[in-house]
Amino acid sequence: MIDLDPFLAWVESTTLSEWIVGSPSMFAFPGILVLHAIGMGFAVGVSAALDLRILGVAPRIPLTEMRRFLPVLWAGFWLNAVSGVLLLIGYPTKALTNPVFYLKLTLIAVAMVLLVRISRSAFGEGDVTSALDGALSPRLRRLAIASLVCWTGAITAGRLLAYTYTRLTQLH
Amino acid sequence: MDIHSFQVWLVTTIYQNSPVADLMRTAWAWPIAESLHFLGLCLLVGSIGTFDLRLLGVAKRVPIAAVHRFIPWGLAGFALNIVTGTMFLLTEPDQYIYNPSFHFKLLFMTIGGLNAATFYLTSYRRVFGPDAPLDAPRRAKVIAAVSLCAWLGVITGGRLLTFYRPAPCDGPQTGLLLTCQP
Repeated sequence: MIDLDPFLAWVESTTLSEWIVGSPSMFAFPGILVLHAIGMGFAVGVSAALDLRILGVAPRIPLTEMRRFLPVLWAGFWLNAVSGVLLLIGYPTKALTNPVFYLKLTLIAVAMVLLVRISRSAFGEGDVTSALDGALSPRLRRLAIASLVCWTGAITAGRLLAYTYTRLTQLH
Repeated sequence: MDIHSFQVWLVTTIYQNSPVADLMRTAWAWPIAESLHFLGLCLLVGSIGTFDLRLLGVAKRVPIAAVHRFIPWGLAGFALNIVTGTMFLLTEPDQYIYNPSFHFKLLFMTIGGLNAATFYLTSYRRVFGPDAPLDAPRRAKVIAAVSLCAWLGVITGGRLLTFYRPAPCDGPQTGLLLTCQP
């Protein structure tokens, strides 16, 4: 196993990390957390809405039209990728020494792969089911359920990060 | 009773009578309730936010009434958050009732609620009628924009709670609401 500590100590010594953690400004750590929560709402929320549509909610929305909401989902995702990296730069030891953090990242990665597969299937030229509410393929429904499960797991893992870390910083 | 005394009375009464405090102080109850609170947030934003975006012109070819079918899921998320949020409040009342961030969160929730009521009172028929236009009337668009801002305000107020935890009061307080521990 590679010893991460020198690298983590270096990250924590950078000006950016010190500003994120140490600045009294509400735009530092608190503001980044706010953006991370808002991005989660839009990314997971819109993804869940797409999953629910596939599972039969709001059947009069043509499935292909759900793609119009995807830019909002991606905006939320990128907002969280950026704010998440900033939070990681702030507390690298806290995250990278906690197995739950890797579980969270894995669940997000799987959820995004599922999203791409759902998008291809629902909006692409594959097994198109653009009919109003026609029987959507069982495969698509399985992907939608898996997506909801992954997001639920990712959010739970994310929340548990505050309770399961063993080391906060190199100094602690 | 002025507002400050009411806040103190509320905190004291909740501490003496809370039905959920013992449960919430068990090892995993608080983190699990928090996770559910975040899931409820996503359901709310995903449903009500999607509907607001439709009113603002996203997916314009879809009848507005069709997108409205997501709303019960948003209300379910809201209900989940009222339940879990109340559980937090009933366990650590002073951390919320004296917290300015919580006051703003409640304010934004009230705006969001009144705004939704305004929508159903003024725009519901025009937007859902048999010959409803695909482009929402201007009034409905303003309501949708206010809705999005209000819920973003609620999220912001909630996420910042921990940074505005009330400290013990130093001397007499003059603000509208008490924001320290007497």
